[in-house]
Amino acid sequence: MIDALLSALPHVLAPANLFAVLLGTVAGLLVGALPGLTVTTGLAVLIPLTFGMDPLFALGMMAGMYNGGSYGGAIPAILLRVPGTPASVATLLDGYEMTKQGKAAYALQVAVVSGVIGSALSAVALIVFAPSLVKVSLMFGPAEYFWVALLGLATVASLLGDDFVKGLIAAVIGLLIGTMGTDLATGTERYTFGRLEFADGLDIVVLLTALFAVPPVIRMIETASHQGMSKDLLKLRKEGSVLRDWRRYLPVWSRSSVIGIIIGILPGAGGSMSCYLAYNDAKRRSPNPESFGKGNPEGVAASECGNGADNAASLIPALSLGIPGSGVAAVILGGLLVHGLRPGPQLFSDHPDVVYGFMLQMLLSAGLLMLVGGLAATRIFGQALRLPHVVLAPLILLFVAIGVYAVNNAMFDLYLLLGIGVFAYVMDQLDYPSAPIILGVILGPIAESQLSLALTISGGNPLALVSSPMSMIIVALTLFILCVPLWGMWKGRRSAA
Amino acid sequence: MKRSNILFGLALAMSFGQPALAEFPEKPIEMIVAFAPGGGTDVAARSIAMFMEKHLGNGASIAVINKPGAGGEIGWTALSTAEPDGYTIGMINPPSFVALAVEGKAKYTMDDFQPIGNIVLDPGILVVGKDSPYESLGALVEASKAAPGAIVVGTSGAAGSSEHIGILNLNRAAGTSFTPAFFGSTAPVRQALLGGHVPVATMNLSEALPLVRSGDIRLLGVMSTERSPYLPDAPTFKEQGYDLIVTASRGLAAPAGTPPEVVEKLQAALKAAMEDPEYLKAAEEAEIPLAYLDAPAYRTLIDQITGELAETWKVTPWR
Repeated sequence: MIDALLSALPHVLAPANLFAVLLGTVAGLLVGALPGLTVTTGLAVLIPLTFGMDPLFALGMMAGMYNGGSYGGAIPAILLRVPGTPASVATLLDGYEMTKQGKAAYALQVAVVSGVIGSALSAVALIVFAPSLVKVSLMFGPAEYFWVALLGLATVASLLGDDFVKGLIAAVIGLLIGTMGTDLATGTERYTFGRLEFADGLDIVVLLTALFAVPPVIRMIETASHQGMSKDLLKLRKEGSVLRDWRRYLPVWSRSSVIGIIIGILPGAGGSMSCYLAYNDAKRRSPNPESFGKGNPEGVAASECGNGADNAASLIPALSLGIPGSGVAAVILGGLLVHGLRPGPQLFSDHPDVVYGFMLQMLLSAGLLMLVGGLAATRIFGQALRLPHVVLAPLILLFVAIGVYAVNNAMFDLYLLLGIGVFAYVMDQLDYPSAPIILGVILGPIAESQLSLALTISGGNPLALVSSPMSMIIVALTLFILCVPLWGMWKGRRSAA
Repeated sequence: MKRSNILFGLALAMSFGQPALAEFPEKPIEMIVAFAPGGGTDVAARSIAMFMEKHLGNGASIAVINKPGAGGEIGWTALSTAEPDGYTIGMINPPSFVALAVEGKAKYTMDDFQPIGNIVLDPGILVVGKDSPYESLGALVEASKAAPGAIVVGTSGAAGSSEHIGILNLNRAAGTSFTPAFFGSTAPVRQALLGGHVPVATMNLSEALPLVRSGDIRLLGVMSTERSPYLPDAPTFKEQGYDLIVTASRGLAAPAGTPPEVVEKLQAALKAAMEDPEYLKAAEEAEIPLAYLDAPAYRTLIDQITGELAETWKVTPWR
């Protein structure tokens, strides 16, 4: 592992790739700071643009975008009481109160330092844990992969959002889309409507972009505000230093980081959940919990640190087993696939430089966040909030269209982008979540092809699917994940009765 | 006013069209690659394009255009219908390029193309894990005959790929009944072989070099007429008494009807590029099995592959 890290290091530190991480971090800050644009949107816009670039350059931008975007959400949350990303909701509880007390600058400083600490520890966890999961990789054959895909699908339950039924419908739509294309083993074309463009199914890049980048843009067009935020709201005064007060924050940072990393590793959890858990933990353990929600900087620290710690850790199951646990991880998996990197155990042996490089870039971008996310940049990116939507929306749409066209050099993809984009917007209006669709599209075909392979190899004997210890472990894990919510429901019903 | 100027200009250009041909290329050439950027074919195309630009002279520029999808069919169909003026050329990948036409799925036939030259010939190989009980090709063949259909061969391709057709041809030539298992790409089949999830696998030679050298997998036979310079110790199928030749080719073609003198120029540039010391050095470092064939020889190879595939299709259709 050390060897692989050392051999990846020069690639990561190559000026072009350093620049990529920086660029991604800056773009991520901007995306995160703009309400309505999430990290997922940013990545969805970015991935088609990185097509044909060197993998580490592309992944560097993605790493930067991830860490930068997850902190960026704190800026409008603190300054304007508008969560830039769903994950920054817990940040605004105390952050905006601090702004009202005239301590906006200090709150932003707490947010950035805490975010950096969380992200950095998370990246270290990724580097340590992901490769060791891979040591068992050779035990994974088609039968095991089939179960892993099913495990991934089972975790969809926790991504379903507030409305269980709508989430399930979205997941099924994803599975259906996943059945499109040419069957690997028989060469039969399914749901291609006689069009060559559908012979490989729906292009994942087109789909990601349409699902995650188009709806927010349409919403911007809908409001069509000619004015951004007023500049009077963005006045910052410098006071205090978080680093000088490190003793005060150390317990919060360490606990929040651990919470964020654990939540991140659990497939299906992650995202906004870690900030809430970290925030609640800090509040519960505080000597004066009543000060939380009234401008206690420890609340901001806990939320942002938990948020940052979630980032790289959520990539641990994604990189090593190919299970996209969160929406963002699913998009990053899509991005890896675009560059010919098939997530899963063999990723580490086939492309060590790229995958170790990417993990180092997650660490690097956490460091760069400290640099560019410092107060000066925070001031500058705060200004982005003043851009009116009538300027922003067409710009984003233009980038998206160029990127999607470049993937296959086909006009057909642009029609698809528009068609699916409008569909995604309608789904969004009706409160159907998008993340389960992507999970279905990625995991459905894996489950299908691996099941077919496993049965071919065993000569059609279904018992071969559960013959290895690894298979049994994964099946047990899947059943466990499926039963936890049922148990919760049962308990809830009993206490209600 | 403006419009008539343009028309006049066009007429002028057309009247000079004939002598201008001698100075081919006078505008950028598009090279269609039927696969996504970053893949083997794309990398081969981009590197050869760079050196062909140099040897075409005349400030030539070649732009690689990726039109991936449907196993190459989208890009090859686009190539077959392009203007046959030499400004659209493309990479073709027999035998899958041929297979689509043989099975009648594609809208093109071999008559729609004018070969320019072959670049790479990557033979198929049959490999087993290092602890496999099959010590030789003969032993494996006997085992398959003893238990019809029971031995599964993992392939990196899909139905109709060169690897799949290779297994079908082997079954035909040796009287075996290996069952193909489709992994879709090379990484997963290598992984499955290393983990002992499949007993046997087939892939292209260049994809297995490091693992064969490290001894993690054992090579039973190379499906070509001669031994590979990269693995001189590995025996061919022919040496072991099985007449099986499966080779993945990467070459250049233009739409049929491209003027012969333009094809001539492109072929000369390809040849010069492939003799360029700089290109040869890079190819050797990357262990790319280069095999230059000129246009007539490449046409012969394609015809030969077409004939074999047509025969296989009649006996054991792959789709």
